[in-house]
Amino acid sequence: MHSAPRMKIVALSLAIGAAAANAQTQAPPAPGPLRPYVFPQVNQFQLANGLKVIVVEKHNLPEIEGRLIIDAGAQREPAEKNGLASLTGRLLSEGTADLSGAEIARQMDALGAQYQTGGGYSTSFADVVALKNVFPQAMQLAAKTVMSPSFPVNEFTRVKNQAIAAYQQFHARTNGLASDAFVRAAFDSTAPFSRPPNGTMASINALTRDDVVNWQRTMYAPSASTLLLVGDITPAEARSVAQQAFGSWSGTRVAAGPVVNPVHASSGTRVILVDRPGSVQSTIIVGQPGFQATDPEYIPMLALNHVFGGAVSSRLNSNLREKHGYTYGAFSGLDLRPGAGVFQMSSDVRTNATDSALVEAIAEYKRLGSETVPAPELQGLVNNLVSGFPNAVQSVQGLTGRIQNLIIWGLPLDFYTTYRERLAAVTPEDVRRVAGSKLTPNNLVVVVAGDLSKIEAPIRARNLGTVEVWDSNGNKLR
Amino acid sequence: MRLRVFAVSLFCLVAANAGAQTSKAQAGKSPEVRIDYTQETLPNGLNVIYHVDHSTPVAAVLLWYNVGSKVEQPGHTGFAHLFEHMMFQGSKNVGKNQHFALLEAAGGRGGSDINGTTNWDRTNYFEQVPSNQVELALWLEADRMGTLLDAMDQTKLDNQREVVKNERRQSVDNQPYGTWLEKMGEALFPEGHPYHHSVIGSMTDLSAASLTDVETFFKTYYAPNNAVLVVAGDIDVPQVKQMVRKYFGSIPRGPKVPALANMSVPVVIGHQQRYVITDQQAPAPAIYVGYRVPAATDRRAAAVTLLADIIGSGRSSRLYDALVRRQQIATNVSGFNLNLSSGADELIFIATGKPGANADSLEVAMMAELAGASSFTQAELERARATERFGFVNGLQTTGGFGGRADRLAEGWTFFHDPNHVNKVLAEYDRVSLDDLNALARERLLPTNRAVLIYVPAKKTASADTRIQ
Repeated sequence: MHSAPRMKIVALSLAIGAAAANAQTQAPPAPGPLRPYVFPQVNQFQLANGLKVIVVEKHNLPEIEGRLIIDAGAQREPAEKNGLASLTGRLLSEGTADLSGAEIARQMDALGAQYQTGGGYSTSFADVVALKNVFPQAMQLAAKTVMSPSFPVNEFTRVKNQAIAAYQQFHARTNGLASDAFVRAAFDSTAPFSRPPNGTMASINALTRDDVVNWQRTMYAPSASTLLLVGDITPAEARSVAQQAFGSWSGTRVAAGPVVNPVHASSGTRVILVDRPGSVQSTIIVGQPGFQATDPEYIPMLALNHVFGGAVSSRLNSNLREKHGYTYGAFSGLDLRPGAGVFQMSSDVRTNATDSALVEAIAEYKRLGSETVPAPELQGLVNNLVSGFPNAVQSVQGLTGRIQNLIIWGLPLDFYTTYRERLAAVTPEDVRRVAGSKLTPNNLVVVVAGDLSKIEAPIRARNLGTVEVWDSNGNKLR
Repeated sequence: MRLRVFAVSLFCLVAANAGAQTSKAQAGKSPEVRIDYTQETLPNGLNVIYHVDHSTPVAAVLLWYNVGSKVEQPGHTGFAHLFEHMMFQGSKNVGKNQHFALLEAAGGRGGSDINGTTNWDRTNYFEQVPSNQVELALWLEADRMGTLLDAMDQTKLDNQREVVKNERRQSVDNQPYGTWLEKMGEALFPEGHPYHHSVIGSMTDLSAASLTDVETFFKTYYAPNNAVLVVAGDIDVPQVKQMVRKYFGSIPRGPKVPALANMSVPVVIGHQQRYVITDQQAPAPAIYVGYRVPAATDRRAAAVTLLADIIGSGRSSRLYDALVRRQQIATNVSGFNLNLSSGADELIFIATGKPGANADSLEVAMMAELAGASSFTQAELERARATERFGFVNGLQTTGGFGGRADRLAEGWTFFHDPNHVNKVLAEYDRVSLDDLNALARERLLPTNRAVLIYVPAKKTASADTRIQ
């Protein structure tokens, strides 16, 4: 075995020597034979109370994640109760009939379990990650907080104040201001997705403990929930853990229909400016609403996003960072939500380059539909998604996140068994087609948060579209 | 969340726990976790560590250069990090944007799998790729270690200088409370000490960086004898060893690396420090308290981390219980140490006030809690230990990237000259007693051994900027 590799070395170093003598550069080494990767099997079953349980096995370390997701996200809360799903989720861990919030925290920490509860756009959740030997105990305690929270009055007041503080901290940053303004501008004001998932100052302030109690009572039910168990656990163990933790959960809920999220009807690009005096950088966001994972064009859209700004070597970062030095980084993404997600780029750019960065970002957006992507460029970026996938699912958190998305987005559980093959088949023509049919480069939502005393005039001078100046709550100032 | 920004992680295989009936294991016991490795040193001084794990077809290549911001001289702050950026600008056989383009096309995700990071003590570069692409990563690392200067020019430097200035704006100057880390180093280490200045550096010094600086820095620190290379994951060791020899073997040994400035500092600072900072962007007051504590290579390092956890990390910590839950004057607290390797480390506690909170009241409440931080209980110690055990195993899940197994091995070599250090981490936590913790707190958690930074929103009235000697 030793002699063959040595001979190989001699041969290769001769080749290198020859190349160096002849000219300049050495070519990168070719890859070895690809080793097989198979996405773990996804098993599912249901408890008698209707709770769906999904199990994904991964046994190389003694670690398990248990994540309960409930179809009770902000998208289902009434407009006037904006922030209720999130506040209720946060409060789950703050008390049960026999345990105080402090005691729950001590017990979870004594197990070394990471325990989080909350609510986002699409779901409310309780999440536990722990070593295998203590996982059943941690899951059981977490289940108790979901099924029978007591919402103590003092904790309600405290966590509500924390939510208000978090809103203020988020809005003290340009990216917080810009991302809130973006969804307000992109969706119709009746759309749940136009509202911040954690609520606004005013809406959080108006929430009462009764609201929280009623939300949990009416919206949390086993039939509206899915438990993901991922990691060092077998289906048999999962059944026993799930039964022990959630077997006694009762209650039913009227099935909820699809959420309707009308997009903002407008013609022409809108430019929304939000002031943050003293900013040395601006956050820019450029994009549009209207994307979902169940769309037959989802896979080519992923490829298109990767050409645009999904990777470091994509066009946006190459242009705004490596060519122009406007930013530390520029990226794009599909924020997929059931009904209607968004496709957007964002970047923090230095104040005096804000208008130039916008021009470049919009030009790159337009180029997606006006030119066919060169095949080698597309191939490299698609292969990044295809070949990089196993890297991303080495952790239980990585696996859990991906399975959760399938459920939220309404994709089949076997989606990842053919995902890589389908991506690899995307052609430049597919990307051109999807850019033509999905992108509206003359009808974009452009949002900028920064120091308007320095950036407003230069942006207006670029004539990018209709300019509006908003306050941080989405009210038009001028 | 107890993610510690400054820590690294690693891996293992737990054959002992692979069975289905391990739930009888005690909660208060460390899991059996072991990272196997082999190690060699090439004739040019490059240290190489190999770690095999075939559980997924992923491999990691990682280089730690034994150079960080602590080697920077006055007028050159931020240069080690700026230089790290230059390492991604191409080398003799690699074009300007080709490092990321080649690796991303091979299946490494830029940012999480492919990146470089600089801190006070070291600079690292890593590639986590499908295991059939390990040779590409080795070739790229060797090319820039051997031939970076062949492709260096002023345009690249000017571009990356702008990028790094943007990075500073994004992480420091445009953020509420963004200057705390910089100010804390300046307060906890005397002027001229290598940890006194920040890793990101000053705008003035970044502006002054020249191509000559790039050349000198490269020739001084970027040599095989000042680095450790880790190749981990789904690899065939004999085959990879041949690749390592082929690409790195011919890179000449560099000159002896200059000795560091004296890193040692007195055990305690000796005077009180209190700074009031008026913050244009902060919506609420926040207090940052830093103590000078034993360094990450000290035998008390595990106790420092446990102390941080007990006092300030998580919802069962003392600060959370007192300031957030009972007094409801703060909305967030945290506690962690930076893991500085030599001389001394920084132990940090942060409390962010609720909206409208009075900064003075928040300070009084926090100081009262820190003044009483001793007489810890066994239950508190066990909770902190359980947290660290989980965090350690959790970090072992990834082969490379930030804080994966490869990073843990390199850390052991660079700071302890012991790649096996990774296999001793849990025992270090197990060893800490209540007496150790109490003794450490009594010795270090003193008003004369800390700096207090008080961030006050600009709209509120600020107390005078004082420094109490």
